[in-house]
Amino acid sequence: MLMLMAGLEKPTSGQITYQDRDITSYSEDKLTDFRKKNIGIVFQSFYLIPNLTALENVLLSLEANQQYGLEKDAENLLTEFGLSHRMHHLPSELSGGEQQRVAIARALINKPKIILADEPTGNLDSANSESMIDLLFDYTKKSNTSLVMVTHDSSIAKRCDRIIEIRDGQIV
Amino acid sequence: MGRLFNIKQLKLINKYALRDFSRSYKKLWVVTSTLFVSLLLLSLTFSIKEALNSEIENNSKELLGGDIQVDSDIDPLPSAVLQKLNNLGKVSSTIEFATMLSKKGESPVFTELRAVDNNYPLYGEIETLPQGASQKIFSSSQKPAVLINESIQKLLKVGVGEDVVIMGQKFEVAGLVSSVPDLAESAVFGEFAIISMDSYEKFGLSSGGSFLDHKYRIKFSNLDKIQEQESIVNSIIAYDDRIKTRLPGQSGRSLNRVIDNFSNFLNLVSVSAMVIAGIGISNTLLSFINQSNTSIAVKKSIGFPSSFIQTMYFYEIILILIMTSVIAYLIGVFSPLMANEFLPAALGINLQPSFSLLGFLNIFFIGLLVVLIFSIPSLYSISEIKAASLFRNTFNPVSLNFSFKNIALLTILVLFLTAYFVLQTNQKLYTVLYFVSFFGTMLIFYGVSRLLMALIKRSYKFSNNSYRIAYRNIVAKKSLAPIMTISLGIGLTLLLTLSFVANNLKKEISDSIPSLAPDLFFVSIDKDVKADLESYIKKIDPGADIEFSPMASASFISINGTPIEEVVSQNNRSAWVVRGDRRISWSEKPKPDNPIIEGKWWEPGIEDELYISMDSRAAYDLGMKINDKIILNILGRDVTGTIMNFREVDYRDISINFAVIINKAFANKLPYEYVGTLKSELPSSEILAMVVEKFPNVSAIKIDRILKQVSEVLNKVFIAVTAISLIVIIVGLIVIVSAVLVQTTFRRYNNLIYKILGVDFPTILKAMTMEFALIYGTLILFALSVATMSSFLVVENALQLTWHFDFGLALWILVSTAVVSFILILLANRSIFSPKVYPLIRNE
Repeated sequence: MLMLMAGLEKPTSGQITYQDRDITSYSEDKLTDFRKKNIGIVFQSFYLIPNLTALENVLLSLEANQQYGLEKDAENLLTEFGLSHRMHHLPSELSGGEQQRVAIARALINKPKIILADEPTGNLDSANSESMIDLLFDYTKKSNTSLVMVTHDSSIAKRCDRIIEIRDGQIV
Repeated sequence: MGRLFNIKQLKLINKYALRDFSRSYKKLWVVTSTLFVSLLLLSLTFSIKEALNSEIENNSKELLGGDIQVDSDIDPLPSAVLQKLNNLGKVSSTIEFATMLSKKGESPVFTELRAVDNNYPLYGEIETLPQGASQKIFSSSQKPAVLINESIQKLLKVGVGEDVVIMGQKFEVAGLVSSVPDLAESAVFGEFAIISMDSYEKFGLSSGGSFLDHKYRIKFSNLDKIQEQESIVNSIIAYDDRIKTRLPGQSGRSLNRVIDNFSNFLNLVSVSAMVIAGIGISNTLLSFINQSNTSIAVKKSIGFPSSFIQTMYFYEIILILIMTSVIAYLIGVFSPLMANEFLPAALGINLQPSFSLLGFLNIFFIGLLVVLIFSIPSLYSISEIKAASLFRNTFNPVSLNFSFKNIALLTILVLFLTAYFVLQTNQKLYTVLYFVSFFGTMLIFYGVSRLLMALIKRSYKFSNNSYRIAYRNIVAKKSLAPIMTISLGIGLTLLLTLSFVANNLKKEISDSIPSLAPDLFFVSIDKDVKADLESYIKKIDPGADIEFSPMASASFISINGTPIEEVVSQNNRSAWVVRGDRRISWSEKPKPDNPIIEGKWWEPGIEDELYISMDSRAAYDLGMKINDKIILNILGRDVTGTIMNFREVDYRDISINFAVIINKAFANKLPYEYVGTLKSELPSSEILAMVVEKFPNVSAIKIDRILKQVSEVLNKVFIAVTAISLIVIIVGLIVIVSAVLVQTTFRRYNNLIYKILGVDFPTILKAMTMEFALIYGTLILFALSVATMSSFLVVENALQLTWHFDFGLALWILVSTAVVSFILILLANRSIFSPKVYPLIRNE
């Protein structure tokens, strides 16, 4: 579902509309452009680029959108996420929680309209999970960003404005 | 890479590529090392060739010995003509001929003797040991002196100040010639001596007969109007067609041809190495992309298009290409200084390094073409990596992208690379054939690997753990079979082919020819001496086999009315037959070892008609047909003759053979001399010593000495050629090792599972040995077949020798390559032999 919403896969049937526009008819290039401008993705396995530092991973998102010279913004966001001392570290030098915070910063730096989060706490311990979710909810609220999250954790789901439960591929 | 980028994006690509390169350079060592080795070979070839050509061009006057050379062959120029030439500047006269140099107790030596006047040399200097020894040969107050080269010194065991005998006259050795400015091949490779013109005239050494060669070199007084003065020289000698001129630009032509041929061979070997390096680039790049699949997927999910990522990786490869080509070119630029150490000093050549931007761009461009050809299928595989995989958390390895568009692009690039090489060489047909065979062989080896995989899949599955593991590794998607078969197969085929050709040629020279060839070859024997010489030899050895043939000089003027220069190109294989003076013979009956293959022999006794019998191969090359009318200039007179037949002439046994034979009745009117051969049970050195003592004017070549010299030169050439072709194997081995290394993660994982399931180390080692043996066994079967076929074609058709298969040589090459390859593969695989179990349990 998240893949379809992100424009990374095309549906075999049906439509996906975003602000009254049918994105299913978009070409690969147009979908890439749509994703760059509107979507931020947070993965369960973080997927930071291993040979880039925390700051460089965040900047990657800006540069993909042809926004240059915004290092200060990235640094501020990482500082806000409590990573001021880890900015120039490679992912292999960060803890799981720190890696996921960098991944969230990478998804948010571009100020997307929607954040798609795929089990963002799936690879974290409970303490890290809680602080991560706080961070995600606080920031999306503050920046007026929609958050679409897939989770198996009902306590996290309860914090969302709307819950769609899917079981065996069907909306319950 | 299909879309254009703006400046900001290009800057971003530059930034990302540099960052990625600086942090991942260790993974790209194969691309760097294989590209560097092949570019270095190419650069060395180009630089040394350029340096040699420029040395020849810059020293063209020294190499010729004057501003112009007049060659009047057997006869000297009349004094009136010489006077006219003297008016144009300084003239140096020389006479070259072959004669015997002897010393009591030593076998006489057949020597190229040059008689020079006081003006010699007009350009450059004769370098001697001791210095200034050349002045001694002109001194009239002392006894006659000669300068000899090092080869004569060794053969006659003669030192400076000792005497040698030339045509019965004693000469004191004044010194050793280390080099003469005008290139004398015999000074470098054979026996060469210099005396003064005064000695030549004073002692009547002019019995060289038709082997005398008069040369006049002129240094013009007025160097401003060289072309005008060249025209004057041509008009002065226009009275006789046989007198030719040579200009400085033509002086190093034969050397240039040798350089061109050898550098063309090196270029082809370099490009072969580079193409195999390309396979390594393709494989390394693909594995690099597969290792970076999550990073690529993340970049795509963020919004980077595939084209951006492809360009970034391509940019990294280009950076490597720039670095390696600059270093390779710089080493190449200075390589002529090193080459000077290996060139014979007698050549007097001093190569200088020279930098040219065009030279660098040439090497870079060839590298770029190869990199493009081999990186396109890998780079386009990036489009197969989907960002959606990040949600599924599974990544399938991508494979080379051979879309229709890519195949078309690759075909164009391969054709362009071939055309680029073909345009740079004089041997266009051979170069095209080489490329066609090379790419054809590559396809064959790819097919061989697929065949092996298919056969193994269909064959009986032995109940043996090692075999089962080996089987799975061979048929696996990431099998080593294709890359190992292509990379090693090509190099091995090249090495086997060259070794087979070299071995056949060496066998012919060391075994077949000596058993057939005569012991001595007499040149230019006066017809009045012939009978005495024959009876004298018969007295020494009654069982000696002696053969004499009459001989005169003639030159081709035209074929069917068309001047010979217009009919025969410089590159014609048989141009030597019709170029310049040719020795012809005559006979009433056809020689039994020269069978007629077309036409008929002539009726005996016809005196007024000139009938010609031609060597069939030369006639075919020159486009001659039976009944063609040929004008020959015989002793200054143009005579029209008719081609009556073609003979099959086998020059291999070094017996007396002539490309042109005429009817005896017509030739009876001509002045002539004899050439002869001798085969005897007695040592040829002893017979020669006795003959030269009795007949000082008789000259004879010792065939075993010539064969030894040819064999030595060929040995050196083939060692160099084989060593160079080994580079292709080395590059192939680097590619195989890289292929093994990029598979280590996958194999370590497999071995880990095997270990958990109870398979021990010896079983895994046996499996690896079986896998190697099956792949190597299959590839050598085809490498041996291709090498056997190609060497057979070269030996039987191009060299016209009888081809033999040398099992020992083949075995030696195949076993040594197998041992080296297997050891390298084991070393590259050493980390997978005892994998730790805990990473699997911890899901690392």
